[in-house]
Amino acid sequence: MSITQTSVFIESKPGHLTRTLEVFAKHSINVRGFSAADTGEYGIVRFIVDEPDRAEDLLCKEGFAVQSSQVLCVKLADNPGELQRVLKIFADHDINIVYCYSLASSYIALSVKDIERAEKALEDAPVTLVEQEEIVELDLS
Amino acid sequence: MGTPMPSPELIDFSKLPIYLPDVECSSRERIRAIQLAKLIEQVNYTYKHVPWYQQKMDAAGVNPSDIKTLEDVRKLPFTDKSALRETFPFGLFAVPLDEIVEMHASSGTTGKPIVVGYTRSDMDVWSECIARLAQMAGVTAKDRVQMAFGYGMFTGGFGLHYGIERIGGMMIPAGSGNTERHIQMIADYGTTVLIATPSYAMRICEVGEEMGFDWAASTLQIGLFGGEPCPPGLKAELEARMHITCTDNYGLTEVMGPGVSGECLAHRDQQHIAEDHFLWEVVDPDTGEQLGEGEEGELVLTPLDKRGIPVLRYRTHDLTRVTTEPCECGRTLARMEKVRKRCDDMLIIRGTNVFPSQVEDVLSGIDGLTPHYHIIVDNEQGLDRMTVEVEIKPEAFKDSFEAMNDFSREVTDKLRTALLVTPVVKLMEPGGIQRTQGKAKHVDDRRRYE
Repeated sequence: MSITQTSVFIESKPGHLTRTLEVFAKHSINVRGFSAADTGEYGIVRFIVDEPDRAEDLLCKEGFAVQSSQVLCVKLADNPGELQRVLKIFADHDINIVYCYSLASSYIALSVKDIERAEKALEDAPVTLVEQEEIVELDLS
Repeated sequence: MGTPMPSPELIDFSKLPIYLPDVECSSRERIRAIQLAKLIEQVNYTYKHVPWYQQKMDAAGVNPSDIKTLEDVRKLPFTDKSALRETFPFGLFAVPLDEIVEMHASSGTTGKPIVVGYTRSDMDVWSECIARLAQMAGVTAKDRVQMAFGYGMFTGGFGLHYGIERIGGMMIPAGSGNTERHIQMIADYGTTVLIATPSYAMRICEVGEEMGFDWAASTLQIGLFGGEPCPPGLKAELEARMHITCTDNYGLTEVMGPGVSGECLAHRDQQHIAEDHFLWEVVDPDTGEQLGEGEEGELVLTPLDKRGIPVLRYRTHDLTRVTTEPCECGRTLARMEKVRKRCDDMLIIRGTNVFPSQVEDVLSGIDGLTPHYHIIVDNEQGLDRMTVEVEIKPEAFKDSFEAMNDFSREVTDKLRTALLVTPVVKLMEPGGIQRTQGKAKHVDDRRRYE
């Protein structure tokens, strides 16, 4: 159970992230979470949106460098120690988290090399993975 | 012991050596007379021994007998780099290879290398020219001179070596690399003169400082720089930090190598041309018409006694201006302003020639890049730095910094292999490089020399 992440290559310059967001706004794509990281020269912005396929198409048509990929989405309880509990499962299975970021409220997206292996690792743990369809109606309470 | 460089007004030039005062300080009339006699002889020699020139001169309707005054040099056709490429490797040689005692070649960053050969007499002239510029900086037979250029095909290493030998100085042929060892050798052997590129001299300076080496107390007194232009700011910094006096010289493989002109201590932004060996002209780069003294234009050089590979009216594409006013150092040989600009699109990056077309060729061979690029050159941190902005195609994007950094490194490696210069590569998003109408402006040279 993984979800689609939409990543865009952008130069680390003012206005460049906005241009991507303008495309989303114009076409009513709802951004449910995002992360921006950069090397000082260029950056990769990763989005979790309600309609990833349409988002990718739209960005491609506008000439953006876009790539979709699969990430895990875990729902965390709003308790102290919860993030540690979840990440420790990955550590215990020797799974490296390449990056992770939080979505709206208490949802975090995590990128790992081998999604299936990570999914198996989480299977028996008390962790709620979020399905693609649920992204549209995330419970933000 | 090393002392900071005094300002020119405080230097007693009568105490500084002049290698060939008879020539270097002779009257302008005598210099011109030497030049004319040699020019007539050289044009005859070249016409007789190099079929390529015979054809060119015949086609231009000029015969060696038409050269009667120095002004008549204008009747001769120009030569440029393409002549050496067309005739690669030995087509312009005027003597059988048996008479060549040494060959050198340029790095050949665009196509074939430029190959040159020297006869015994050419080597004699070359070492004499180097001896002159070394003495302009104060080098004498008492000096211990450490070579930090690489030897090899590059003209700088051997050229300077022979010139120092000629003066009677002791050569320490350390060669390039192993900076700590260079510093150890300066300490162990009491080196007084360092031959290096300015950027490598800075490296030696910094490593020495890190090792706790006391430059002020060291035996080192003089830096002879070459291989790349030396920005005045960098020179001043090296002089202050290493407590030495630094000069640099001008030359190009096609007409000889280093030593065409050299800096004296009276005018640090100018270099005395070895006029008895090189006839200089400054021409309008567009029309080829000669310009007057003091006017900025393209330097054109005719070596006056080269036997191995004579060239007539070689277009350097270097912009300069020349004055024949006598110099405070006592020399009367003309002075050219140090070259900072070119009249073609060639860039000199830390001494290496780079053409934007080479960058274009490399980039067009890399999948995942659009044909758009932009070159920025600056020297904000003292040394030349070339940044190449390249534009990725959408499909080249991989959602991983590791993958993108690998891609960036691949582009850097390919550029370095072709250019012999390591650029800073910046990946730009599709459409990220400004499109210009007509001839795209590919180069932004932001270097400052003040």
